[in-house]
Amino acid sequence: MITLKAYLFISLVLFVTGLVIMLSRKNIVAILLGIELILNAAALNFVAYSKYTAANLDGHIFALFIIVIAAAEAAVGLAIVIRFFQVKESVHIDEASDLREELTR
Amino acid sequence: MFSDILFLSASTLIIASCVLMMWTKNLMHSCIYLLGVLIGVAGLYLTLGADFVAATQVMVYVGGVVILMLFAIMLTGGKDYQSKTQKILGLLPLMGSKYTFMWGTATAMVFGFCQIYFFRHLFTALEVQETTSNQYAPTVEKLGELLITDHVVAFEISSVLLLGALVGAAIIARPRKDRPAFLEPVDHHHDEHGEDHH
Repeated sequence: MITLKAYLFISLVLFVTGLVIMLSRKNIVAILLGIELILNAAALNFVAYSKYTAANLDGHIFALFIIVIAAAEAAVGLAIVIRFFQVKESVHIDEASDLREELTR
Repeated sequence: MFSDILFLSASTLIIASCVLMMWTKNLMHSCIYLLGVLIGVAGLYLTLGADFVAATQVMVYVGGVVILMLFAIMLTGGKDYQSKTQKILGLLPLMGSKYTFMWGTATAMVFGFCQIYFFRHLFTALEVQETTSNQYAPTVEKLGELLITDHVVAFEISSVLLLGALVGAAIIARPRKDRPAFLEPVDHHHDEHGEDHH
């Protein structure tokens, strides 16, 4: 029988993978991929808790809204990335430093 | 029995795709492995009896978000920006320098262990309360009723959010002929003056 712990373990794997990808990669698109993984981990947790502890469908509603927000975030984020590439000719995350104080290199 | 097989295959797909997604150097391959992760999560939703959420996951993510990601990777070149100076960690194909790899792994381990540590009482407390109902009822009708009765405000707000995101993405990403003055490179003017002084 599949228990709640199995789903939580899968969710933990998704979360940690997304965090490692977000923190270790330098491409902005790769960071957005990591964000998608973390949002999936949260939605999976909602649906798993909704099945195993509550008797209603509120977790499903939350998962649907998480999917909607992830779609909106991906659209706006990728638009910003493409605009950034038009301006800077690069998608390195360290190039996004126009508002920062000028560093001496 | 069927749900056990589905759970095992979906979780194997998720974990393998996660590891490969961290491991690969090619950003396009990483996006394809993200596709495997999302399909595996949809399979887990099916084992949880969430049929509508699984269908929405496949339609929105696999049909929309991953395609957007692939377009963005192709439009921006998809370089991996690997550091040239790393020696041992250069064999590990994570797209970063050794500092980013080290910080990422350390932070992920700390977050993971904190999650397990703080929620360990919750695990044992919830194990008793688990309802093991094996019947899978269709959820579409109930979800539709919930969305237009209890959660109608969030539903409407999410529609406004999607409209705003659509318009905002179209406005942000459109190519502009008239670039603002602060985005123009300014070195031409100064170079000519500098040569005059010399």
